[in-house]
Amino acid sequence: MSYYKQSVPPVRDSRLKIGDSYAGNACDLVNCGRDGCLLQKGRGFWQANACQMALTLMMATTVENSVIVMHAPGGCGALMHSLSAQAAKGKGVRGKTPAAIPWLSTNLTEADVIGGGERKLRETIEYADREFRPEIIFVVVTCAPSIIGDDAEEVARQARSRVSADVVSLHCPGFRSRVVASAYDTFYHGIMRGLDLQPIPRADFLPLVQGPQAEAAEKKYLFQKSRTVNVWNATSIGAQDEQEVERLLTALGLKVRFFAEYSSREELRQVSEAALNVSMCNVHDDYMLKYLAEKFAVPYVIAGMPIGFRHTREWLLQIARHFGMEKEAAALAGHEEKLAREAIAPFLERVKGKTVLLCGGVVRVGAEATTLAELGFNVLGIRAYHYDEGAEPVFSDVAENLADTPVAVSNQLFEMTHQIKSLKPDLVISHNGTQGYIAKLGVPAIQLFSTDGAFFAYNGIYQILRRIVFEFKNTSYRDRLSRHIRLPYKQSYFEGDAFKYIINNST
Amino acid sequence: MSEFIERPRTACALAGALTVIGNLPDVIPIIHTSLGCGGNLANSVAFGSGYLGSGYCNGSAAPSTGVTETEIVFGGTDRLAEQIKNTLELIDGKLYIVATGCMTEMIGDDTAGAVSEFRAEGQPVLAVSTPSFKGDSYHGYDIVLDGIFNSYLPKSVEKNPKLVNIFGLVPGYDPFFRGDLEEIKRLLTALGLEVNTFFTPGQTFENLASAPSASLNIVFSRVWGGELAEKFAERHGTPYWIADLPIGPAATDAFLAEAATRFNLDAEAVIEKENNEFYGYFERTADAFCDQDLKFYAVTVTNSTYAIPVSRFITQELGWVLCDSFVTDNLTDAQKSALQSETPLQFVTGVQEIARAIKQNHPQNRGQRYFDDITPLYIIGSTLEKRTAAARGAKHLP
Repeated sequence: MSYYKQSVPPVRDSRLKIGDSYAGNACDLVNCGRDGCLLQKGRGFWQANACQMALTLMMATTVENSVIVMHAPGGCGALMHSLSAQAAKGKGVRGKTPAAIPWLSTNLTEADVIGGGERKLRETIEYADREFRPEIIFVVVTCAPSIIGDDAEEVARQARSRVSADVVSLHCPGFRSRVVASAYDTFYHGIMRGLDLQPIPRADFLPLVQGPQAEAAEKKYLFQKSRTVNVWNATSIGAQDEQEVERLLTALGLKVRFFAEYSSREELRQVSEAALNVSMCNVHDDYMLKYLAEKFAVPYVIAGMPIGFRHTREWLLQIARHFGMEKEAAALAGHEEKLAREAIAPFLERVKGKTVLLCGGVVRVGAEATTLAELGFNVLGIRAYHYDEGAEPVFSDVAENLADTPVAVSNQLFEMTHQIKSLKPDLVISHNGTQGYIAKLGVPAIQLFSTDGAFFAYNGIYQILRRIVFEFKNTSYRDRLSRHIRLPYKQSYFEGDAFKYIINNST
Repeated sequence: MSEFIERPRTACALAGALTVIGNLPDVIPIIHTSLGCGGNLANSVAFGSGYLGSGYCNGSAAPSTGVTETEIVFGGTDRLAEQIKNTLELIDGKLYIVATGCMTEMIGDDTAGAVSEFRAEGQPVLAVSTPSFKGDSYHGYDIVLDGIFNSYLPKSVEKNPKLVNIFGLVPGYDPFFRGDLEEIKRLLTALGLEVNTFFTPGQTFENLASAPSASLNIVFSRVWGGELAEKFAERHGTPYWIADLPIGPAATDAFLAEAATRFNLDAEAVIEKENNEFYGYFERTADAFCDQDLKFYAVTVTNSTYAIPVSRFITQELGWVLCDSFVTDNLTDAQKSALQSETPLQFVTGVQEIARAIKQNHPQNRGQRYFDDITPLYIIGSTLEKRTAAARGAKHLP
């Protein structure tokens, strides 16, 4: 049975070969991922992290005119307080109303855990609909109701006939996967099952009346559609990156639309009306793009992340190939590269030979590492938060270009701390959420991504280098801070192997 | 029967426990749940509660068993034992507290049993039961401190006649908790007392260890920490005093006088000095305050700890006119009745419900020529009340 027909989506762990505990190099990692040895690995010591629910919420909060119903005990939604501010900002920069999304919690108590929480879920959905009149109600199903076996799907199904909003259920119990990236599949699964993804006659368009005018109009529409691409954004991709991608694809004569974040229900109904779906990250959206190919016969391109000259060129060419415009794309890339290379020349002199450690999302760290190496940095190590087979093309490229560079699959702060202390990089480029911890080590650092910044394509290269040079201009804050900080790790750990707690679960 | 909550203002018992543990000196959490709980809950406070941050070993640094489907099906105590062992090896702390979450409680993991083996070896490990469905973050505060003081620390033998412990001010769910604790400590120190605040920078593990020898526990909440103080009194023989948080000079005078009486001290000199200093500042606000007509009708939206003290402050010291006082904690009837005072309180949590209640209690001018409404209005609430205030044309102090 297709995954798409299941009411509850599979976690990535059951769909792909995946892992989150590894230390070695890129070539071995790719092999370990292929033969499944990665699946066996775990740790004897863990530090807390996020879960798929957190990332699911980050995505859901961006959808316009929606309300989130947490089917959970009182704590699971707590991060909504900071998330909704972030999402409101993202809406603002995209020209949408920067309203914070309302949310409710079914607030499961001991009695509900014993007696079931379905009644409360139904009441909460109905209240949300009455009180806020949203277009979409996201029902977020967490660990507790998943363990007690609440049939949230049935409640959502029944609610659909009683409320005016569309009800989209998002199953994201944290215990089912340690891999946060599983959330992408969860979110897309909810969208594909809960919403219309094609235009509704008379709501979105007026059906044509037969005649020569209709024929011309249809031709025009089909031509436009044949030049329309959907580009799939997600969480780490900010408005400036969307603008840069749109600028480049528009230069190739394409019409660009971004999905699924910051889209409204009405906009999502246009998803099927495109010639091509374009991914910006191998591990974000393959689940959704394969579904759209199956359901609406819209082909897709998954060609890495447009970071750095080489990856951006490759990304553009693969899209262009679909439209028979490789020559134009190559010319565009050539022109853009020339301008950008001139612009970054003064920065390159200042960063030449600087040593760098990269930590964060698997595709981004891989693409960024090879990019920086090509620009003259000395990459001391790569730390990917997780690895799955979707990232194989990226890490095959890393294996080819940075064969001896240490590669770890780790989102663990203690291992990062050890690596920073032992490798002593000039610069750490790291995932949001780790910056405070790196500052306490006194090491210069920039964000691996930030939705307020630019990271993609030509503008991205310029801005990343500009930020690195900016960071090196004054490192006083972290120099001083680090002198007054006590780390929680015992000294003996730093005298041994950073990855001593990685174990094989099979043994 | 409990109901759903719109935008809950606290999180779960585990969240409260982690905020407490993460703000105690040299106390290390070991979170027995899936990996997400620790990060999600810590970040909600680190970036949400006056940017409290993560500190020594909390947030993404907090040790966690990271249970997965395997443990949910087969039990998580082996994973827990392994995690405790490795945490003791890797993390430098003086007390390690295993806090559970909903999933490991639901599958019935014998957490206390796993921990008792380490205790038998003389390791400083304690287990507390903090599943989310047991209560909100305020409960988490009570549960952890109860574990430390009424179960982990040995019974007190000798009392320090000058030592006071401060309870009731729950960290992380009120951005000002550290400022309040520092000021209380400053005042009591001025009376000649020694103060354990536990949660402010400068406190060490010694403050926790010495707590049982205190001569008085002051609980600054009529609702939270009282049960803890009761059990503390039974175990260590330390009496407790439930006091309202002193806000403003009148309340502070009364607080100092009462504290001094309990220790047979004289507060008069301290009260005089404090008032001189306070009015030295306060006098200078008179020009702006009065020339700019900073007199308001007021609505307060606070937790149970702040409701009465803030209402008294704006009424007595600022001379404002209080219209509504909302308490956003989820309370039992007994807890609600503990909050009786001259200020009538309304117990509502949801943002929309509060906005609706204000509207119902105080009709707005709908174009009438003469209409006595509650303008100018000031809403003292959380950031969640920003839109409510804007819709009403009220000023807003988050």
